[in-house]
Amino acid sequence: MRRIVGLSLMAAALSVVVSSCGNGVIDKSTDGVPPAEATGTLRVLIPSFPTSTKGREAFQKVVDDFHKTYPKMKVEPDFATYKNLNEKMSTSIAAGIPYDVMVTGVGWVQPFASKRIFEDLGKYGVTPDVIKDKSVAALIPAATYDNKLYAYPLVADARAVALRKSAFIEAGLDPNKPPTSLAELKVAAEKLTKRDSHGNITRSGFDLDSATSFRQSFTTFLASTGTPLYVGGEPNFNNKAGLDTLLWIKSMINNVQPYGQTNAAGTSLVLTGEAAMGIVKAAVDCSEDKGIGKKNCDDLKFFRFNSGKEIEYVGGDLASIGSRSRHKEAAWSFIQSLTKPASLDAIAKLNKKIPAYKDAANSPQAKSNPLSKFVADGLVYAVNENEVPSNWLEMRGNFDIQLTQAVLGQKDPAKVLNNLAGQSR
Amino acid sequence: MTTTVERPALATPRKVAPAKDGRKLIRSQVRAGWTLLAPALLHSGVFIVIPVVAVLVLSLTDYSFGDTWAWVGFQNYSDLFRDVDFQASLWHTVLYALVVIPISMAISLAVAIGLNQKIKALGFFRTAFYIPTVTATVAVATIWLWIYNPGSGLANGFLALFGFAPNRWLADPATALPSLMVVGIWQGLGTKIIIYLAALQGVSRDLLESAELDGANRWQKFRNVTWPAIGPVQFFVLITSIVGTFQVFDLVYVMTQGGPGSETRVLVMDIYQNAFQDLKLGYASAETVIMMVVIALFIGVGRLLQKADVND
Repeated sequence: MRRIVGLSLMAAALSVVVSSCGNGVIDKSTDGVPPAEATGTLRVLIPSFPTSTKGREAFQKVVDDFHKTYPKMKVEPDFATYKNLNEKMSTSIAAGIPYDVMVTGVGWVQPFASKRIFEDLGKYGVTPDVIKDKSVAALIPAATYDNKLYAYPLVADARAVALRKSAFIEAGLDPNKPPTSLAELKVAAEKLTKRDSHGNITRSGFDLDSATSFRQSFTTFLASTGTPLYVGGEPNFNNKAGLDTLLWIKSMINNVQPYGQTNAAGTSLVLTGEAAMGIVKAAVDCSEDKGIGKKNCDDLKFFRFNSGKEIEYVGGDLASIGSRSRHKEAAWSFIQSLTKPASLDAIAKLNKKIPAYKDAANSPQAKSNPLSKFVADGLVYAVNENEVPSNWLEMRGNFDIQLTQAVLGQKDPAKVLNNLAGQSR
Repeated sequence: MTTTVERPALATPRKVAPAKDGRKLIRSQVRAGWTLLAPALLHSGVFIVIPVVAVLVLSLTDYSFGDTWAWVGFQNYSDLFRDVDFQASLWHTVLYALVVIPISMAISLAVAIGLNQKIKALGFFRTAFYIPTVTATVAVATIWLWIYNPGSGLANGFLALFGFAPNRWLADPATALPSLMVVGIWQGLGTKIIIYLAALQGVSRDLLESAELDGANRWQKFRNVTWPAIGPVQFFVLITSIVGTFQVFDLVYVMTQGGPGSETRVLVMDIYQNAFQDLKLGYASAETVIMMVVIALFIGVGRLLQKADVND
């Protein structure tokens, strides 16, 4: 009897410990409660604000706006990065305390929507048709699953190509006639590559912006031939266009650019002069004090890939509501605050991206520097992975590994593409 | 004069719990034992038993953080044996362990023997060898990333002194894993040296003097007196090294992310990738179970080798 009492006491103590660990984490639902009276904590997973003072101040402005509607709700941000986004989401789901608002990127929405982790925004009056009038068209397919909208676009992360006029002139090339097709790019890049007496590359002819992964560059180059990576969730790369593209990348690596080349700051190599030509992100700082300076900026010319189709790779940040959230209405209110033009302008500036509202080409960010203006004007040429399969999160890693193996000559490129196609489900 | 000592009244005989060896414990001792054990039991239950059971159960499901899941029996296990990434990860981990463990143990023992002598600046050397152990792996990895930097790294600078061409180290499939092994060996020395040093200081002076009187030379004293005396410590170092090398993750995560390709992908990295990037928790759990079995096998082999050495 005493043993039973002792064991019961131990079990009770354990349950007190366990329950106290979880106390206060899971709130009561505020859905249906008048906003002014709703209390609880809104958990926000967001890689869109850097953890710097400026980033926190910009986020606080969004919170302040949200508090006008939900004055008693506490907002708990988790400033994740794209590297640990999945880890944060999966552990929160496993722990039973999923985030209320989750900001992800292109390629995330469909897999999570298919797992019913994201909420259909149609319940709040936002459908693919409605968003067309409010957001850049490029990101709407990435936020749509099964003809329903599961995410609201925040900012677009576009890629263009840049060349150094001085390097072109030095190599006897005309900077006003940039090479745009894969064949032209290779010829020009070989002329632009500089080597030392040992044959080591000292200035890359072309920066593929693929230090350790060729997934995004493969998608971009393939799309420039008019071939999207996936169509309707089905692989569209295990064909001649796919093989030619992969072989082309293979012919460029360690020929016009060493494998793994990157710089400590993560800046595009053509902006620093480490490459004569290459892929660039969505903004360039031309200021003399913090940026690359006016002289360097004036030496740059921007253009887009065109091996049959003019394209611009576009990713972006997309905000969703967690389907297991107990504060869905508050989460939607927060997304409304987050997607106000002033908030999107701040996010775009902080991340060197383009705000995803309809008139992005006239945004303060687009007007602030020539590269942002160029990519904002080019959003009509947007491409990305297109209609990815539901196991895309798994395929991202598979692409990263297997394309590298093909490029480094460890595996046969044709077999790699067939294997990746077979793994896409 | 006689003194009468009053004997205290005997307490009511208590029930005693019989022990296996014939000794008996009174109930209050049993209770005290359980009370003292309770924190450790609670800790083991919450942080070891429950996770192990959870991993075993999850490994039989297709759970992927979604709303639905299903029992799949041993499907995850059979899929794993066809998974080339898993095979590569297992091979890289075993290779890493086979290279790092013996080399780091041998270097540690040699350094510990050196530090056990009466040499100048002994304290400085002991501290210097232990510093890598107390330094965060992320900081260590960051420094080694600079050392291995193909353009401006110390490693290529050193090679250049002898006229060798620069190497791409972590970016070259042929040298990426060996480069990581060097860091692993270097980082693991401190702890092993401290343990060996403690063991060497515990070797009987009497035995060493006796051997010396018998005319044993340095090697004979080491082989026949010191080596058997530090046997249990060798086994401890071996076990902790096996577990440590099989669990290598942070170094790989910071330095190579498993690349180039999958050349430095190790088991824990693969488990992390499957669980938290690909969201296949059931699959990753099966992989974890296999890792536990492999570690147990290695420990078993180590134990057999140790027994054979003792019997010698």
